[in-house]
Amino acid sequence: MTEPILEMRGIEKRFGGVHALRGVDFDLREGEVHALLGENGAGKSTLMNVLAGVIPPERGEIRVKGKVVQFASPREAQASGIATIYQELDLVPGLDITANLFLGHELMRPFAGLDNRRMEREARARMAAAGVDIDVRRKIGDLSIGQRQLVAIAKALSYATRVLIMDEPTAALSAAEAERLFGVVRAMCARGVGIVYISHRLEEVPRVADRVTVMRDGRIVGDEPASAPQARLVNLLVGRPFDQLFPPRAAALGPELLRLERAGFTPAAERAGWQAPRDVSLTVHGGEIVGLAGVMGAGRTELLSALYGAGPPGRWHGSVSVAGRPARLQSIGAARRAGLAFVTDDRRGSGVILRHSVGRNVVMSILRRISPAGFMSPAAEDEATRRSIRNFDIRPPRGDVLVGNLSGGNQQKVVFAKELLREPKLLLLDEPTRGVDVGAKGEIYQRLRALTGQGLGVLVASSELPELVGLCDRIVAMRQGCSVAEFPGGIDEKVLLESATGIAGEAA
Amino acid sequence: MTDASKEVGRDATAPMPAVTARRNPLTLIVRFQSVIGLILVLIGGVVFSPVRHGQLLFLAPDNIANIIRAISETGIIALGMTFVIITAGIDLSVGAMLGLNSVLTAMLMTTANLGLVPTLLLVLAAGTAFGTLQGLISTRFRLEPFIVTLAGLQVARGLALVLSGNVYINISYGEGPGLAPPVFALLGERLFHNVVPVATLVFLALAVAATIVLNTSRFGRYVYAVGGNERAARLSGIPVTQVKVAVYAITGFAAASAGFVHAGQFSFGSANDGAGYELTAIAAVVIGGTSLFGGAGSMIGTIAGSIMLGALANILQLNNVNASLQLLATGAIIVLAAALQTMVGRREGSMR
Ligand SMILES: Nc1ncnc2c1ncn2[C@@H]1O[C@H](COP(=O)(O)OP(=O)(O)OP(=O)(O)O)[C@@H](O)[C@H]1O
Ligand SMILES: [Mg+2]
Repeated sequence: MTEPILEMRGIEKRFGGVHALRGVDFDLREGEVHALLGENGAGKSTLMNVLAGVIPPERGEIRVKGKVVQFASPREAQASGIATIYQELDLVPGLDITANLFLGHELMRPFAGLDNRRMEREARARMAAAGVDIDVRRKIGDLSIGQRQLVAIAKALSYATRVLIMDEPTAALSAAEAERLFGVVRAMCARGVGIVYISHRLEEVPRVADRVTVMRDGRIVGDEPASAPQARLVNLLVGRPFDQLFPPRAAALGPELLRLERAGFTPAAERAGWQAPRDVSLTVHGGEIVGLAGVMGAGRTELLSALYGAGPPGRWHGSVSVAGRPARLQSIGAARRAGLAFVTDDRRGSGVILRHSVGRNVVMSILRRISPAGFMSPAAEDEATRRSIRNFDIRPPRGDVLVGNLSGGNQQKVVFAKELLREPKLLLLDEPTRGVDVGAKGEIYQRLRALTGQGLGVLVASSELPELVGLCDRIVAMRQGCSVAEFPGGIDEKVLLESATGIAGEAA
Repeated sequence: MTDASKEVGRDATAPMPAVTARRNPLTLIVRFQSVIGLILVLIGGVVFSPVRHGQLLFLAPDNIANIIRAISETGIIALGMTFVIITAGIDLSVGAMLGLNSVLTAMLMTTANLGLVPTLLLVLAAGTAFGTLQGLISTRFRLEPFIVTLAGLQVARGLALVLSGNVYINISYGEGPGLAPPVFALLGERLFHNVVPVATLVFLALAVAATIVLNTSRFGRYVYAVGGNERAARLSGIPVTQVKVAVYAITGFAAASAGFVHAGQFSFGSANDGAGYELTAIAAVVIGGTSLFGGAGSMIGTIAGSIMLGALANILQLNNVNASLQLLATGAIIVLAAALQTMVGRREGSMR
């Protein structure tokens, strides 16, 4: 059980001026879960991309079962039993789940083309093996981010015979789904597969991993048993003592910004998999952070996007008021005029423009303000860009880097910076710290608190219970489009989980 | 934000990875591919130019005037096309629109007996309205711009044929009913020692305006953002639908301007003129480095691309290369330009 199936020695990689990997050594034993931790941009994904044959290293050696290998493509890596769940999922939105699971490995019937029936049957079996329950005929584009993550997992599992790389697999999963995934991980280990597990959720580490390696700035800075105390890991991660993730809660409440009373949203046409808000009651005041808890499909994302006018066409019913006045929130324009801003959970699809620079992206939401008389003011643009990069510690700290070349967590910071430049009154956040490292998370929380101190109200949906519990003043649990209970911040995670899944009693 | 919170999560001692503005050479080539191409073509022009009376024909003032006159109409169209293609759209109706508007110009000046300015305004309004309509149809009914403007091409050509009765509408100049104002004939003249065609000056003026709008205006940013990621643009409060309609209004306006210039240059309006100009314009835009996938491109590139195509055609003509070989050469250059772009796209956008 302890012989290394995989060894990487002295791996080097540069992207232009960015030295992403500086001589990294890494190994993996049979049947173990090796957690790889590090700040955003530390080089974790790059290291795994080298291993998976996506990018060639400049220097260094990879051995599988003692034999030196060189993968020219992900296909070659797959052929030697190394499968990857990429951080930025590699699924084709226009195809259904079956087609995605078999992409490039389609099953054929002799002389009769694709064997669709067999593929569908097997797809169903693979999904079940991964503990996922979604109709395999649904198109990827119609799935939520969390569901896509589950499909990507199912896809990778079927190719992983020796090594499985999981790059932030739980980022979009709620606690219950993550729990199920851990079960699958353990089953894989029992079959002797070695697993590299990348995550920014430190609390997961002792639960899944056997061993922890920490990276910083392209180097390995620490090797620890998984039982190491969290504080020690955080120290290694951020490179200095770090005492407090969550800032103190609000002192004073401002005026009421949003009130929903038995409110629901009826889309003009039914959309499969879109859980419309049906019966939601909640309030958000200035100076307050309100959380939305729930399992996947509870309708949190739908509630936020409908409030922002970004859902399908349809109508609100019940009562919706913004700043004490009834509001219609029928379009994005109306929502924005009312002072709302929205950070989506789909940063690549609808958060940023990957092929534009950081500067171009962050100012996108304030173009009107920085273009007096219709023409851009370069000075104002520069200033806004620099302020965003500073406030959110975007790395590398340059406005002219393409967002597509940033690490995942830094892309998320760009989305955040963009929406906050507008200085909204009410901020709607959907999985705001997905893929953000613990240090940057702390920074985002501090920033949110500083802004709520100035009167901002925040409504945040998150699958990370510790985040909801630690950050929010109040938490509303949702189930199937309805708000079912409300809790004060700091509540026991278990109570919250029970209410969100509906396993225990509803009343709090 | 407090000082303390600013430092959270940042390692104050570890060096920030040094990032230089280094770009790979291929990226630079693509960035300036049209300018590089233009220079190569001009050098080629000089090298392969036939010589007459001890003078290089290619560099003769008359020849240069010819080149820049020949590109003025497709150049104007390409300016508008750049906006559309940056939003990841396409407009196939522009060539037919040129024909329609040349007919319109001729008829308004002669049959309807309108003056220069009213004619110009009406023609520009008609072109803009036609483009707007195409934009509205494509956004409202979620139809591919390719289909909508293909239909627009047929409609414009049909309208032009009906209006003109499929005959040339000749323009005669003078005072009196049925005669156009003589200043209109200026569009066919040359200024500055008979070297610079007036039509080219119109192109230059519009090129400057288009460059300024695309590079420095808020609208220009909207155009890039819509092409870069429509959903992100919408969520960021950019009026995506209006921008998409506006770019087709711009191509309509550009095609109408080209039609007006065309009528002035040749002193007639003809329903069948401008056929295929849409493809020349698209070629100029693509050679100029603008991505058909949207979100990236430049006006300078388009301008250089237009001149390059004109100069290339001219060299081949001077050397009596036949027309079909000219087409082959243009085709090869388009493929080369597009291939360079995808190569760079693949390198930059790889695994993310
Ligand atoms: N294709 C690329 N071009 C340029 N720079 C890149 C490219 N890919 C990665 N980088 C840079 O390399 C560094 C390491 O990135 P990587 O994605 O490995 O970080 P990570 O540890 O996975 O971070 P995260 O936790 O945010 O996902 C970053 O500074 C990133 O900007
Ligand atoms: Mg990563």
